[in-house]
Amino acid sequence: MSLGRYLSFFSDTYYLNIFVRTIRVSLICTLVCMILGIPTAYFISRTSKKVRGVLMAIAIFPMLTNSVIRAFAWINVLGKNGIINQILGIFNIEPVSMLYTEFSVLIGTIYLFLPLMIITLVGVMENIDNDMMEAAESLGANRIVAFFKVILPMSVPGIITGSVLVFTGALTAYTTPQLLGGPSNMLMSTLIYQRAMTLNDWTSASVIALIMIVTTLIVMKGLNYVASKLDKRGLE
Amino acid sequence: MAEVRLENITVSYDGKNNVLEGLNLKVNEGELLALLGPSGCGKTTTLRVIAGFIDPKDGHMYCDDRDFTRIPVHKRNFGLVFQSYALFPHLNVYENVAFGLKLRKMDKVTIEKKVTEILKVCDLTEFKDRLPKNLSGGQRQRVALARALVIEPELLLLDEPLSNLDAKLRLNMRVEIKRIQKKLGITTVFVTHDQEECFSISDKVAVMNGGVIEQFGTPEEIYTRPKTEFVARFIGFENFIKLHKVDGVLECADGTKISVDDSGDKDECLLTIRPDDIKIVADDYKGENVLCGEVVVRTYLGKSYQYETMTPFGKVVVNDASGTLYNTGDKIRMVLDKAKIVLV
Repeated sequence: MSLGRYLSFFSDTYYLNIFVRTIRVSLICTLVCMILGIPTAYFISRTSKKVRGVLMAIAIFPMLTNSVIRAFAWINVLGKNGIINQILGIFNIEPVSMLYTEFSVLIGTIYLFLPLMIITLVGVMENIDNDMMEAAESLGANRIVAFFKVILPMSVPGIITGSVLVFTGALTAYTTPQLLGGPSNMLMSTLIYQRAMTLNDWTSASVIALIMIVTTLIVMKGLNYVASKLDKRGLE
Repeated sequence: MAEVRLENITVSYDGKNNVLEGLNLKVNEGELLALLGPSGCGKTTTLRVIAGFIDPKDGHMYCDDRDFTRIPVHKRNFGLVFQSYALFPHLNVYENVAFGLKLRKMDKVTIEKKVTEILKVCDLTEFKDRLPKNLSGGQRQRVALARALVIEPELLLLDEPLSNLDAKLRLNMRVEIKRIQKKLGITTVFVTHDQEECFSISDKVAVMNGGVIEQFGTPEEIYTRPKTEFVARFIGFENFIKLHKVDGVLECADGTKISVDDSGDKDECLLTIRPDDIKIVADDYKGENVLCGEVVVRTYLGKSYQYETMTPFGKVVVNDASGTLYNTGDKIRMVLDKAKIVLV
């Protein structure tokens, strides 16, 4: 197998499109998980131990079901006759086709990996003393400013760990894009399966697999670099 | 610089039990008030009410006659020093101190001038680039103080700021805090459970117990004239003897007459005196206020010996620096210093 196979991957627009889509879906998924996960995790971390246990159980609950079942759940929600379109139908709005789009893949993966982000962040945030928030408030910061200036920077290690977990998870997820994306929204993982299992083209499959591994490593390295820039404590 | 008044403050965490009960307190301008009491007495709660972290169920808080009760923490402009220091671990000393000034949208030059100045006052100039984790306990404590002072607060609130330091450093910081406080003339409320710390640093002391102020006064007043048994016990009075009045003269249970300067108007009271204010005297000593007891325990304190003695009306503890040694079982005679006797 020569280097040419790798080069031809990037010169083929079909492959390149899938590559870009995969990265895009994974990044958006990570970003949305961050935006949804940070406030949720902070809220959970500030509750009493008893309430925190219950909220964590609720957050983790979706992880107890198989990802195939969870994808099917979304088919029921987003499908042509799904719950959303039924509700829209009440208001005489034409059914929207949401299934088998990049949107549905995103919804599926975010749903899949948000718990990971929350668990990781709660672990870091519950160790931030409430004194920090109060100190910032006493110095003239309202709660929102205090959150952005103190709590968020102090949570950077957790945000990075959570992001790595979510990103690699979303990049390599197979069932969700397969069931919710359909053939027109193929991602790298589904592409590997198609090459290897359907077309019996194991060489292409290995090429794609290696590209995925390298991509993951590059992104992880990049995130660590960002972390060390944001969190000076990590440097010493 | 401000005068602070708490009026009728009542605080309850669960809606049923009151942590503070109709508390009234006044701190004059430029004064350092210490809130002294055991843990759970409500002193930290009082401080948190002043800081604005706790909404009182009832009552008002005034700062220079303005009602501050409903003003949120971040608009009060009070400097706070926490027991844990609460330094921001991701910011270095300079950035920690500048935090409050940046929030006030001051320009860079002013910030730098103010921070440099306060770092100098707190003796921190050489550490300004260090992160909190690379500082010693005493340095962290000074950074916390500098950060609270640089915003030129109307009021400085200190919550057991010295309890995490070792004994020697605590002594130094005590003097340091007092020096800076007097230099800036800033009204200060200081929470502590350490009576020595409290007396050495404060202008006024409020001894608290069970959510109310038991006694309010100057350190001297409280040290020499505690008004209640609780205050007396808390500040180191160890001997308590029940007295009752017979024909206007106070007597112990066994009829020993006790002579004091002012016998008060109660028929029954509690005599209290510090172990240091009792002297051991020879058997032929003639005078007032002599008690007899048998030595039960002898403890070496360094500059003196402490004897725990058994008397007909209970345990009496006496410190003796005379050098004469008494053994367990020895009968000794003790005289109570008339001027040092306190009735509660």
